[in-house]
Amino acid sequence: MSFDDAQGYLVLSTIAIPLLAALILVLLPGERKMESRYLSLIAGALVLGLSIYIFAAYQVDSSTFQMHLRWVWVENTAFLGKNGITFYLGVDGISAPLGLLNGIVAFSGALVAWKIDYRPKQFFILYWIFIAGVFGTFFSLDLFFWFLFYELATMPLYLLIGVWGSVRKEYGAIKLVMMLFGGSSLLWIAIFAVVHDAGLGTFDLTALWNAGQSGVFSPTFQKVFFPMFVIGCGFHAALWPFHTWSPDGHGSAPTTVSMLAAGVLMKFGGFGIIRLGIQLLPAGAAFWMPGLMVLGVIGAVYGAVAALTQKDYKLLSGYSSISHMGYVMMGLAAMNQIGITGSVMQMFSHGVMTALFFLLIGTLYDQAHTRNLPEFGGIARKMPIWAIFFTIAGFTGVGLPGLSGFIAEFHIFVGVFRSYPIFGALAILAAAFAAGYIFRMFATVFYGPFNPRWEKLKDISPVEGVAATLLVLAIIAMGVYWSPFTDRIGPTVALLPGLTH
Amino acid sequence: MGADQAWILVALPAAAFVVLALCGRWLPRQGDVLAVLAIGASLVLYFFVLHDFLHQRDGLVNSHEYWSIAMHHTWSNVGNFNLNFGTYVDPLSAVMVGVVTIAGTLITIFSIGYMKGEVRYWWFFAVLMGFIAAKLMLVLSDNLLLLYFAWEGVGVCSFLLIGFYWEKRSAAEAAKKAFITTRIGDVGLLIGIILLWKATGTFNIQDILTAATTGQIGHVYLFVSLMFIFLGAMGKSALFPFHVWLPDAMEGPTPVSALIHAATMVVAGVYLIARLLPAFEVVPASLLVVTIVGLVTAILTGFMALATTDIKKVLAYSTIGQLGFMYIALGCSHPDAAIMHLMTHAFFKSLLFLAAGSVIIGTHHNQDMKQLGGLWRKMPITAVTFLIGSLALAAVPPFSGFWSKDEIFHGTTAWNGGWVTFLLGFAAVLTALYTTRLFVRTFLGKPQDQAVYDNAHETGPVMVLPLIILALITCVAGFTVFNGVGRAMGFPGGFTEFVFLHEPERFVMNWSWAAASAVIAFGGVFLAGWIYWGNRITISTRLADWQPGVYNMLVNKFYFDDLYQAGIDRGLLGFSYVVSWFDRYVVNDTGVDGVADTTRYSGSILKYVQTGKVPAYALGIALGAVGLAIAGLVVRG
Repeated sequence: MSFDDAQGYLVLSTIAIPLLAALILVLLPGERKMESRYLSLIAGALVLGLSIYIFAAYQVDSSTFQMHLRWVWVENTAFLGKNGITFYLGVDGISAPLGLLNGIVAFSGALVAWKIDYRPKQFFILYWIFIAGVFGTFFSLDLFFWFLFYELATMPLYLLIGVWGSVRKEYGAIKLVMMLFGGSSLLWIAIFAVVHDAGLGTFDLTALWNAGQSGVFSPTFQKVFFPMFVIGCGFHAALWPFHTWSPDGHGSAPTTVSMLAAGVLMKFGGFGIIRLGIQLLPAGAAFWMPGLMVLGVIGAVYGAVAALTQKDYKLLSGYSSISHMGYVMMGLAAMNQIGITGSVMQMFSHGVMTALFFLLIGTLYDQAHTRNLPEFGGIARKMPIWAIFFTIAGFTGVGLPGLSGFIAEFHIFVGVFRSYPIFGALAILAAAFAAGYIFRMFATVFYGPFNPRWEKLKDISPVEGVAATLLVLAIIAMGVYWSPFTDRIGPTVALLPGLTH
Repeated sequence: MGADQAWILVALPAAAFVVLALCGRWLPRQGDVLAVLAIGASLVLYFFVLHDFLHQRDGLVNSHEYWSIAMHHTWSNVGNFNLNFGTYVDPLSAVMVGVVTIAGTLITIFSIGYMKGEVRYWWFFAVLMGFIAAKLMLVLSDNLLLLYFAWEGVGVCSFLLIGFYWEKRSAAEAAKKAFITTRIGDVGLLIGIILLWKATGTFNIQDILTAATTGQIGHVYLFVSLMFIFLGAMGKSALFPFHVWLPDAMEGPTPVSALIHAATMVVAGVYLIARLLPAFEVVPASLLVVTIVGLVTAILTGFMALATTDIKKVLAYSTIGQLGFMYIALGCSHPDAAIMHLMTHAFFKSLLFLAAGSVIIGTHHNQDMKQLGGLWRKMPITAVTFLIGSLALAAVPPFSGFWSKDEIFHGTTAWNGGWVTFLLGFAAVLTALYTTRLFVRTFLGKPQDQAVYDNAHETGPVMVLPLIILALITCVAGFTVFNGVGRAMGFPGGFTEFVFLHEPERFVMNWSWAAASAVIAFGGVFLAGWIYWGNRITISTRLADWQPGVYNMLVNKFYFDDLYQAGIDRGLLGFSYVVSWFDRYVVNDTGVDGVADTTRYSGSILKYVQTGKVPAYALGIALGAVGLAIAGLVVRG
């Protein structure tokens, strides 16, 4: 077994460990609440360690897929030829940082879910299935399993929100899941069309990419099916106008689920557009990218403007996520190395930032039971450490240099300016609106005279403090020393077809 | 230590920031000593850097060659998109670092006395260090990206310090206003930086300047980029029409005001424009814009200062006015005069603010000149130092402000004809007028509020000492313009021979100009003295009563606050309500829920088709088969 093979098993472990954890939890009696929490903590620590290892061990100087693992599942039957459907894993410079993101958020999410007292066992079972699905999507190189994991990571959300959520949870849950499945159905159609049209009898993504880039798909075919990939994935990325699950879904979701849905699930959108859209159908991408740029700009400005007057902080973060994911779309649509690199960085940055946001919002909501901003005031006095964490998260959202948001957005802005200066300027303006809504929230919630109604508020608990510290460390590390990210993402992005220089 | 290790000057206060922010609370004396040591060490090391820098110049054959020492390292590479960081030491940044470290050290020492017993004492010193570190990084950075990092760092630290007393609603609002207003300018700066990168492919300032001056950037394109960058400078320097945030920023503790006004915050814009001035000179229209904005700012703030009674706010307006002077000098292509004024202003303005802080502490938090007066008997040292600062601000010879303002006067004549000089003179009269009013109403005359007067006292040595040092600097700093003084200090010559753009300029005393500017200064001072000291204060109240509209306009900062507030409330927030409404009711309730409702509704109708009766289904099958058959025939023809 070569070293690369051994590492392939590590990549497999990122999927296997969460599934194993879920399996053990199934066998655990429901009343052993503490055990289920410790088990989740161990699983979280393991996947965090694995994702850090995969990120660090990724060979920067070779930008193709590494750490392969391939098991043939079905081949040479019916319409399937050689390597028909294989369980095929591999890591490249785009999936390595996203896997790291998932490891970080999964670990902090498990810590935050510590305080769940209603059926923690069932919660964690669904939680770990979800995490396995996310890792599987990021690391799969077979379209069949890619889609399987993609769905695996969406389905548990229905129960997680519907059972453990708050305020209109049934509505939020069904809406989120139906909209995401709506997108998936488009994807599934397009996936079959692509596999059929390629005529290779395989779901092997690398083979399909080669086919797509050597012009097997006709331009018309690409123009028809590229939008299906973009819209299908766009639901996950909260692409305007397919975004409305985001404010409502986050409005009802429990803290941990919001952290994951906004932190990693939304990244499926941008990731899918790269993997299925740009890499499979380059001519379609070249034709449709200006349209995606327009939607991205609308999303970036629209989300920021709508966030300015929200009175509910969960809706506010929902809209700010739409704005930040709009930047991701813009970076992708710029179709140059800088812009797409920035998009992947922004996916990482937005993931840790928004997870931190929802973590902190959850800390407050669990005590205050209101989400109405004007009812607060001066609570930094009662929750100083919480306020510091929140300030860092807010500064990241504003795009302050030294924190991860700025450098990601900066790459996107530069990439967009290369092709569309006006849109680039609009995006930077949206970043100024971000200062408006985030600082308005600061000023109303934790500054100003203290509202005595909140006398009983407690500061962030140590368990949540550890989770928040981890996220803050990730934000600051990327903010000042981002070359580990650009070194991985940049060369991989350079291999994408159809980039302009 | 050589000039290529100038980054240490930044690293020391930055390290102090990290240490104080993380564990300042538990350090002895809450870490104030550490802060003083860090900035003090930076100050000492600055002189080593300066010495090395001047020493390296001695090797040059032609003594007036422009020289600089640059260091840079790679930050990241994405394809050919390279981000670097590095330091760049040239006479301009050497002067700026000197101003920041000297003023910063004195202000930090003063703060020990001023902030005594305040809540979050450690946090104040932590952010103070962060503020100074960010500003030092700003002036030492060799590229626009690193400069933008520092620029925003300065903005954040000012946000934290202005909002230091965040329990007060007004402080929280002022901090928010300062940050958002400057942030709007920063949008322009970032756009400008990216536009310049797009044209040149680099962020390195010197490379950009070379590209601009050798005509590699189209003039219209360059003009647009520079105007975006100037927007950033306008926001940071609180120039008209961004002037609204600076008076409100007085909500912060007074040493912070001193730091913001003298060394760290507002002059960042002046530095940026001075740094990029060769590019501005390529497009004369951009220089004209800079001049006009500077003039409008200088004159409008002069009027506003006359109608204000809060001593700190008068000083705030005077800062914006003096910044206007600096921008006029820049607009006239005289960075030497602008930076000289920046330097003298930094010292006399920190002196004035710290003296005002001393008044505030000495009178137990009173800063309205309607309740002060006659304080010179109670606070003689503060009064004398304040007087020196005022005279410098009013540009009375031989104090430092006179020499630098004289340089600006001199600079304007060669450029743009007489109108700039004339309006500048008018602004200078206004400066002398409000400065004298400030001093007279605070320290001279009869006490306006006996209780305040009776309880007033001189402040302690830790506060008075920085005042005395700053007063001494204020007295002598102006003489650096003379060739002999500069040489004696080890510089190649006077100030304008050290900092220059094209050709070093040797200062020559022009007696008629000096006389004219002295007349302007004395005229203003005597006029104000005549009105306010001579108990003719009724003249000003009568003026206010005569034209209440004008007076109210001045008190309300020309209604710009109200205009912006209305623009935000009715414009932006209104737009936001519209978008939120659209999102809820059109996109969501009609689009998304509409799809769901349609599905449900059609299901509820179609369920009646499911009768469960076999004949009905058989009929359906038959109809379907026939229909398909007909369709097949039609399609086949």
